[in-house]
Amino acid sequence: MSDELKQEQEITQIIHKTFKSAAVEIKRAGRLAVKLRSDLLPPFISYLKDYMQFKHLVMISGVDWIEENAFELVYHLYSYERKIHVMVKVRLDRNNPQMQTLLPFWDHAGTYEREIHEMLGIHFEGNPDLGEFILEDWDDIPPMRRDFKTVEYVNDLYEWREGREDRQDVRKTIAEQYDETIPDFDKEEK
Amino acid sequence: MAGIIKQEKETTLYLGPQHPGITGNMMIELKVTGDTIQRGKTHVGYLHRGFEKLMEERLWMQCFPIVCRICVPEPDPNEENLARAIEELEGREVPERAKYIRVLVLEMSRLATYLLWMGGQSGSAGLYTMPQWTVGDRDYILDLFEELTGGRVYHMYIWAGGVRRDLPDGFKGRVLKVMDYLEERLVEYDRLLFENAIFLKRAIGVGVIDKEKAMEWGVVGPPLRGCGIAHDVRKDEPYEVYDKLDWELITHEGGDVYSRAMVRRKEIEQSISIIRQVLDKMPSGPVHNPGPNPLKWKVPSGEAYVRTESARGEFGYYVVSDGSLRPRRVHVRGPAYVHGVSLLERMLPGTNIADVSFIMNSLGTCPPEIER
Repeated sequence: MSDELKQEQEITQIIHKTFKSAAVEIKRAGRLAVKLRSDLLPPFISYLKDYMQFKHLVMISGVDWIEENAFELVYHLYSYERKIHVMVKVRLDRNNPQMQTLLPFWDHAGTYEREIHEMLGIHFEGNPDLGEFILEDWDDIPPMRRDFKTVEYVNDLYEWREGREDRQDVRKTIAEQYDETIPDFDKEEK
Repeated sequence: MAGIIKQEKETTLYLGPQHPGITGNMMIELKVTGDTIQRGKTHVGYLHRGFEKLMEERLWMQCFPIVCRICVPEPDPNEENLARAIEELEGREVPERAKYIRVLVLEMSRLATYLLWMGGQSGSAGLYTMPQWTVGDRDYILDLFEELTGGRVYHMYIWAGGVRRDLPDGFKGRVLKVMDYLEERLVEYDRLLFENAIFLKRAIGVGVIDKEKAMEWGVVGPPLRGCGIAHDVRKDEPYEVYDKLDWELITHEGGDVYSRAMVRRKEIEQSISIIRQVLDKMPSGPVHNPGPNPLKWKVPSGEAYVRTESARGEFGYYVVSDGSLRPRRVHVRGPAYVHGVSLLERMLPGTNIADVSFIMNSLGTCPPEIER
């Protein structure tokens, strides 16, 4: 392949040699995605950090794949030396989501874990500070889960403003005012 | 008088959520003995608007007016990031002229943020003339934004495929005029703030970030460059047209409030120079590569992480699409998320109560982007 992706391929080979079950994908220059078994995460992260110069923990994202009954945690690491960004992805069982903390590696991993614990309900073993972060006195299901119904929650909590029951279409009002027709987007579908 | 307040007695002091020294709405719970801080804990949640959840229920086009509200003083990196993430997923090309206009907008927003920061930084040191001046001068940039985009604070100008409209007639001249004015004002700013004896006494040696630990603690942007570590997303992973422009990385040794201030001070000059280059080199041509009907707009499934160097550090967007009309997940990484919570908590012990908001300002803490 081209010289541009030489470094990415090199890293891929090193990872393959060390972690046989890791599936590495080169997304583009400077972007790698690694799919990993969840129990291998701490040694893998430690390997990347200590031996491969991935010293910068960019963030930890949580994605809810409710159709596949899984949570996906995405650990974003960046190496300033290599100028490569790695997304390490692990899948967790949605019924009993548990993960090990990354606090020993990075101080600020704790903040991300605290937020994911609150927003998706994933427990991080070994993190002593998983208390309330953004929400206060929350007793519903964690709000970033896909099965959390935003509209129902809003309807329960707030009242609709008077005069909006008919769900009036603003475009209709404007069109009447200026004597125009509303464009029908459905007809224009390609 | 030391006998009145016993040295060992620990008092709890709540700083915020409404406090002029706090940049936005957040609370710091301080444990103090005398006026020395033993521990500090950040409490956020006063500005949580659930944007990431909202975006899961919106069309892709409807996300653009949402993301700019994630960081109030600096909305443009958000728009640019989301646009670039979508372009990466779609493989959509952006016209060259649009890229130059994006850099112009980003640098103008950097200038506006630095001017606002200068006000906050000097205000928290008790120099109240500076905030009046810089907020006034920032208005000239907001005027330019108003002319270009229609909005003063939230612009919603950058979108997938380019920018919303071309520069108005004579806009270039007006930008250059404001840049000349700001360059003249820098002399006054130097006299009033950067060479001010009070500021130097307050800033040098205060809020020091350990150079060895900076990267491990997740420090980015001007605080990282203030430790003498030369990293900038614009150089490390050039986006838009930053690799075609002539500019240098600015670093300053020390890691204290003063070196962070000096990095920003020099970057103001540099931004002015970048804006001049952009206006000079800007090619002609279209500014938008249109996509499908926004109401039927499906982004191909996949994931993308894009980053921008905002005025406070690395701003990143992780966008996941499942190929439907709406984003599956948009996760925003703001620099304040690390700076304002774990880093601040680590820096507070041993400092003075009066230095808390001074240090917070120098780190560029922005609560709306912590909570989103």
